[in-house]
Amino acid sequence: MENLQEYLPFLIPLAVIQLGLMLSSLIHVLRHKTYRVGNRVLWVVLCLVVSVIGPVLYFAIGKGDE
Amino acid sequence: MKAFIAFTKKEFTESLRTYRLVILAAVFLMLGVMSPLIAKIFPELFSGVDMGGGLTIIMPEPTVMDSWIQFFSNVGQMGMLALIISFSGIMANELSRGTLINLLTKGMKRHTVILSKFLSASTLWTASYLLCLAVCYAYTEYYWPGGVLHNAFFAFLAPWLFGEFLIALLILGGVLFGSYTGSLLSCFGVIVSMLILNIFPAAQKYNPIVLAGDTLQLLNAQKELPDFIPAAILCAASVVLLLALSVVAFNKKRI
Amino acid sequence: MNTLSVKELTKSFGANKVIDGISFDVPEGCIFGFIGANGAGKTTTMKMILGLLPSDSGEILVCGEKVSFGATKTNRHIGYLPDVPEFYGYMRPKEYLRLCGEIADLDSAENNRRVSELLDMVGLSEVNKKIGSFSRGMKQRLGMAQALLNEPKLLICDEPTSALDPAGRKEILDILKRIKGKTTVVFSTHILADVERICDRVAVLHKGKIVLEKAMDDLKIQHKSKSITLEYESEVDSDEILRVLGDNGLAPARVERADISIESLYLEVAK
Repeated sequence: MENLQEYLPFLIPLAVIQLGLMLSSLIHVLRHKTYRVGNRVLWVVLCLVVSVIGPVLYFAIGKGDE
Repeated sequence: MKAFIAFTKKEFTESLRTYRLVILAAVFLMLGVMSPLIAKIFPELFSGVDMGGGLTIIMPEPTVMDSWIQFFSNVGQMGMLALIISFSGIMANELSRGTLINLLTKGMKRHTVILSKFLSASTLWTASYLLCLAVCYAYTEYYWPGGVLHNAFFAFLAPWLFGEFLIALLILGGVLFGSYTGSLLSCFGVIVSMLILNIFPAAQKYNPIVLAGDTLQLLNAQKELPDFIPAAILCAASVVLLLALSVVAFNKKRI
Repeated sequence: MNTLSVKELTKSFGANKVIDGISFDVPEGCIFGFIGANGAGKTTTMKMILGLLPSDSGEILVCGEKVSFGATKTNRHIGYLPDVPEFYGYMRPKEYLRLCGEIADLDSAENNRRVSELLDMVGLSEVNKKIGSFSRGMKQRLGMAQALLNEPKLLICDEPTSALDPAGRKEILDILKRIKGKTTVVFSTHILADVERICDRVAVLHKGKIVLEKAMDDLKIQHKSKSITLEYESEVDSDEILRVLGDNGLAPARVERADISIESLYLEVAK
C-alpha cells in the first residue's frame, strides 16, 4: 500500500479504540477473581479474539460485583 | 416526580459505573470511523490485483454513497448487537437480583421504574448514535466533499427509531422473564420473526426492521419517503405499546 | 390500636396451601416474633403484608388501611428488611441511603439528617467503600438503616439474624432493642433464643396455621419455669453458692454446673 499515510486519520483512532476496549476489558478480567457468568479463561479468550463484541459482552454479563 | 428524578439519576450513575456508557460511546465512535475507512480502503485493496490469465479487477472509485452504505450496514448490525447486549440487563438484572424490593417498598410506583429506565436508556442510545453519525459525517465530508443526500433527516432517523424499539422490547422481555438471557433471547426471537416476515414483499412496507438499514435507499433516491412511512409509524406505535405492556405486566408481577 | 392486623389470610401456590386462614394482631409499640420452621410460610405472609404478593382471600390492615396487591400506598407506614437485602454494588452506603430517602420523598435537609443518624446507629458511618465489597453482616445492618429511613410505624424484618455470625446477630438484636417502643416490629425467625431476648409477643406458624399466639409475659406465667440460671463475671465456687442458698431455705432440687457457653466464649475471643 503506497499511501498508508492517507489512512492514518482513520487508523489511529480505530486502533486506539480497539486496543483500548481490548486492554481495559483484559485488565479488568485479570484483576478480578469472580465473574457473574463464565470463567477467566473464557473471558480472556473472548476479549482477545472477538473484537469489540467480546469486551462489550464481558462488561455486560461477565463482570461480577466489585 | 421526585422518585422519578432520583431513580433516573441512579440509572445514569449505574451506566457510568458499570462502564455501559463508555463502552457504548467507544463502540459507536468506532463504527463512525470504520464506515468511511472500509468504503475507501476496500476498492484499493483489490484494485489492480492480477487474477491470472490477464484478468485484472478494476474497482470503481469509491463515492460518498459507499461510505453511507457502510454506515447503515455497520450500525444496523454490529451497532444494534452492541445495543442489545448492553441493555438486555437493565430491567432483567434488577428483577433477578431483587434490588428493586427496597425501593418499591418505599412507595416508588412501578411505572416510574419502567419510564425512568426507558428514558435513561434512550438518552444513552441517542447520544451514542449522534456521536457515530457526526463522526462518520465529518470523515465522509472530508474525503468526499459536497456529496448530495436525499431525505437525510428521515434516513438517519430510522435506525434511531429502531433502536428505541429494541430498548422498549428489552424492557418488556426483562419484566416478563426476569432474567438477562430471557430478555436477550426474546429480543432475538422478535428480530428473527421480523426477518422471516420480510421475505414477503407485502409485509416489507410495514415491517419496522426495514428501518434498521434499508433507509439508505432514501439517501441515493432509490426509494421515496412514502415507502418507509408506514413502517416508521408502526414502529413508533410499537414503542408506546411495548412500554404500556411493560407497565401492565410489571404491575402484575410478583417480586 | 393495632399497627398491623391480619384476618383470615389464605394463600396457595398451585395445589399447595401455604397459608391457611391465619389471623393475628400486632399492637402498637410491640416487638412481634413470628416463629416457624423454614418453609412454614413466614416470607409469604410478609410479602403479602407488603403488597408484593397477591393473597387468595382475607384482609390485611396496616395502621387501619387496607393493603392491596401491587399498590404501595400502605408501604409509606412500613420499613422492610428482606432476608437477604440486595443493593447496588457500585454505590457507597451514604449514596444508597440518600437515594432511598429521595424515593421516600424526604426533603433534602431531612434526608441528610436521617442518613447520618442511621449510619451512626448501625455503625456504618465510618465505612465508605462500595457496597459490593460488604460482608453479610454489614449488608444486613445497611438493610436495617434503609428500612428505618422514613421513620416507619411498622418495621418488618424477614429472618434478620439467620444468616449472620453471633457477633452480627447481636448487633442486629441490639438495634432492634434500641428502637423498641418507637417502632412496632414484626420479625420472623427460627432462632428461638432471639425471640426470648427481645420479643413482647409471639406467634408460631406451623404448616400454614398459627398454632400459638400470646404475649411473652403471659406465656411465661402460664408455663411457669421451675428453674433459674445464674451467671457470674468470674469463676465461682458452686459449693459456696449452694451453702448460701441452703442457709436461707432455698436449697434447689437439682444442681447442674453449666459448661461455658460457646456463644459467650465466641463473643469474648472475637471482639
